[in-house]
Amino acid sequence: MNTENKTIVVSNYYNANIVWISMLLLTALTYLMGKFEFSGTAVMLIILSTAAIKATLIIRDFMGLKGVSLLWRIIMYGWLSIVCLSIAIAYIISL
Amino acid sequence: MDTRTTIAAHNIAEAETITAETDEPALLPGDFAIWFFIFAELLVFGIAFISYAVARVENTALFNQYQLTLNRELGAINTLLLITASYFVVRAIHAIRVNNVKGCVSWLYASLGCGTGFLLLKSVEYYDKFSHGIKLSTNTFYMFYLSLTMFHFLHVILGMIILFFIAIKAQRGGYSAQDHIGIETGASYWHMVDLAWIILFPLVYIIR
Repeated sequence: MNTENKTIVVSNYYNANIVWISMLLLTALTYLMGKFEFSGTAVMLIILSTAAIKATLIIRDFMGLKGVSLLWRIIMYGWLSIVCLSIAIAYIISL
Repeated sequence: MDTRTTIAAHNIAEAETITAETDEPALLPGDFAIWFFIFAELLVFGIAFISYAVARVENTALFNQYQLTLNRELGAINTLLLITASYFVVRAIHAIRVNNVKGCVSWLYASLGCGTGFLLLKSVEYYDKFSHGIKLSTNTFYMFYLSLTMFHFLHVILGMIILFFIAIKAQRGGYSAQDHIGIETGASYWHMVDLAWIILFPLVYIIR
């Protein structure tokens, strides 16, 4: 295996590891915010943003949609944006 | 690494080079049809999540009160399990791309192990709720909690069945570096199950 090919394989592992660990840490952050029963608009937005970041990592790096056609990226990220925005608006109304 | 591994890695590198040179968008991983199925599933989950948030507007005090009865620890552990299961599936694909069949199978079974852990912990949660007489008709919060999480629970089971059959086929040498579209198809579905839980967990267990 030449150096270039080896670099590609190793960088794939490295990227997946980084994404995985990042998501574990973000989940711990979400849990801690729940454990201490933080509430309010800012907290809600932080937790929702954390979920959106994790979802983006799954779509981009785990599902492998990075670099696919714009239409499919719009569909997937559009779904995520609409869901998160709708939840945020509903929560802000209820405060 | 053996010759097959070197050839497989070369193919990946070559494919990436061609894509970069032509500026063509990459193909969707797996069978194209699965993406319509995934989109349809996500639409249903999306509508359910938004319905929960809208219902909460009219019942904020009730939702906040009963949300505290949920087991956040189990919810968080389940999130870690699903994320890890997705990561293992990614590693399985990396393995088969370099013709490492044994590694691919091991990662797939590891993923199934995480999925089993998820189902067990969720069952413990349901047992606790049902033993306290909680059911769909108890109140609006529990109606959403039970229906949303059970709907997701069924998707985890389906995802595990798919991964199991893929693992069996991989074990029998049914996939290679050149032909592993089946693994990518199953993996895409499994990631969708993870994606839905990533939103569901903070929505139902945490945000208040």
